[in-house]
Amino acid sequence: MPDIEALKAEAKRILSEGMVDMVIGFKAGDTPLHPQPAFFKTADEVDHLVYNALCQNNLATYLTRFPKTQKIGMLVRGCENRSVNALVFEGQHPREGLYLIGIPCEGIIDWRKIVAQTGEELYSVTEQSDNTILVESKSGFFTLEKNTLLHESCARCIHPNPVSADIVIGELLPEGDPALAREKVAAFTDLPIEERYAWFRQESERCIRCYACREACPMCYCEECFVDHISPRWTESGTTPAGMQGWHIVRAFHQTGRCTSCGACERACPMDIKMTYLTEKLNDDMRRKYNFEVGMDTTTPPPFSTVTLDDKSRFVV
Amino acid sequence: MNLILKKEQLDHQLNAWRQDYEVYAPQSLQNFTHFLPLQDGFELAFDKAHNTRIPPKALFLPTSEALLKFTRFGGYEEVPLETTPRLIFGIRPCDAHAMTLLDTVFEQERYTDPHWKTRRDATVLVGLGCHEPCQTGFCTTVGSGPFDHAGLDAILTDLGEVFLVETLTEKGECLFPQLETASEEQSLRASELQQAAKASMPVAFETEGLKEKLDQNFESPYWEEISQSCLSCGVCTFLCPTCFCFDIVDEAQRGERVRNWDTCMFRTYSLEASGHNPRPSRVERTRQRLSHKYSYWLDQTNQIGCTGCGRCVRYCPVGLDIRAMLRKVNQLPSEVTHV
Repeated sequence: MPDIEALKAEAKRILSEGMVDMVIGFKAGDTPLHPQPAFFKTADEVDHLVYNALCQNNLATYLTRFPKTQKIGMLVRGCENRSVNALVFEGQHPREGLYLIGIPCEGIIDWRKIVAQTGEELYSVTEQSDNTILVESKSGFFTLEKNTLLHESCARCIHPNPVSADIVIGELLPEGDPALAREKVAAFTDLPIEERYAWFRQESERCIRCYACREACPMCYCEECFVDHISPRWTESGTTPAGMQGWHIVRAFHQTGRCTSCGACERACPMDIKMTYLTEKLNDDMRRKYNFEVGMDTTTPPPFSTVTLDDKSRFVV
Repeated sequence: MNLILKKEQLDHQLNAWRQDYEVYAPQSLQNFTHFLPLQDGFELAFDKAHNTRIPPKALFLPTSEALLKFTRFGGYEEVPLETTPRLIFGIRPCDAHAMTLLDTVFEQERYTDPHWKTRRDATVLVGLGCHEPCQTGFCTTVGSGPFDHAGLDAILTDLGEVFLVETLTEKGECLFPQLETASEEQSLRASELQQAAKASMPVAFETEGLKEKLDQNFESPYWEEISQSCLSCGVCTFLCPTCFCFDIVDEAQRGERVRNWDTCMFRTYSLEASGHNPRPSRVERTRQRLSHKYSYWLDQTNQIGCTGCGRCVRYCPVGLDIRAMLRKVNQLPSEVTHV
């Protein structure tokens, strides 16, 4: 865990020195499981900054809300840093208008995994120094191993360290093993086609189309999402199988070469829908076929975002 | 009348109802509970979670439903109304109270929604009171309560080995022909439990004068502040037992006119055909959500449009808590900032 006082000190410094207009971080939530994204505009406000393993949102999703002229500081973990880079590449904010305070990330806890063991009536959740979480709930005290609670995206994370932060607070962590990510992909792709389709149906057809996945995703910033488009209509509107499958498959494809595997979509879902297996498959294809990982810098274009006249296949030009 | 239902008789009672009704009760689905029709060998999931993830309004106003079918050449046919008798068992008082609020929307004197009304008329609601109220709930603050009778045909109080059953309507009385009457001691114990549950719930925010504060602070910078982290997704409203907004869409390929859930939190909700959007940002949309529940509902029905179930608090992906938001409204100045 990074030293919270060091994080605060840096956030205060860049605000008081006028380097940024605002620092995006987290503050304590009103319920024990949910710290809230917070927008600190003065050094004094930074006293409320918190950072812990329950900070489940990808803060880069807020970047596209602010004018490109605004100078923004942001706490970034590995995935957030890469999302920011991808957004900078896509022209959503100039890199020089950003100050990234990097945090090597030990993984985000999936609150659902806590609740599954402790029941849903919680009074407090405390991260302890020995990699355990102390939970006080109605049914008593629980000491849980943090590693067993990690969100799946974090358990298979390849790049926990910020890749291009302006400052890194905390010790760098060892990189993750891409084979782990591939295992998860294979668990899906190795199934017979009928079972794969059954899996896809079971997950996607639980959807209520609240679009929390879209709104939680930093890369879903379209002014008008394809599902909101009326003429032409790209998918069915409701919670019919066609509508729900259409949403999930097209959402995933739009992320090809853009998704940083942060898992914010899954963590936001109120119906506990698994959806990162789709984007993980696409990310794995990007790694293996194009040797590309999004957001490692701000200049390498994602393979599917480029067109050259000597492309091997002539589908566009 | 107060009756006693032994817990070991519960499955038998549910199966008996299945002869006459399609019986829905909370059962496990993924990591949460859901009102699903009972099948042979069912397992109830009362112990897993206090409330189902999706509120039971979805059994009356489905996420999507066809209202009529049409052809390319101008012909159309109405979709038959669902008249299957249903019994919903284990609905919590907050959710049942919400049904009575939604009735004021769908069963108005001049306009009655036939789909809603037919389903409501065909359904019996057997509630389970909350002797251990949930932490995120605030039913007592908004005029409901852990043993609120509103909307229910019968309500159960968990007395350990038995449920005390209070029948509340004629429909409810017909449901339990076989049960013994509760003793005075049992009725007294239930009443004590009910009082204790109610007393254990703190006041989450002040409702007195809340509407006026909301109206007076329509243009307050408060809205900008609290909506900053909002994702503008539909979690709070779709999981809300009293939110009822829908959108009607013609699915031309299927030849159906469909009604889908919609929410004021979506940008497209208020987007007009001209391209103008009177609620262009999350600021106006957040204001709409809170003001509708705590001000406009009062204008229309003199009731708060929230029953304090706490789902929006529990499942907001960014941890926004409506109770905290309203406590801040309590602190806002009482001055007119718009005319």
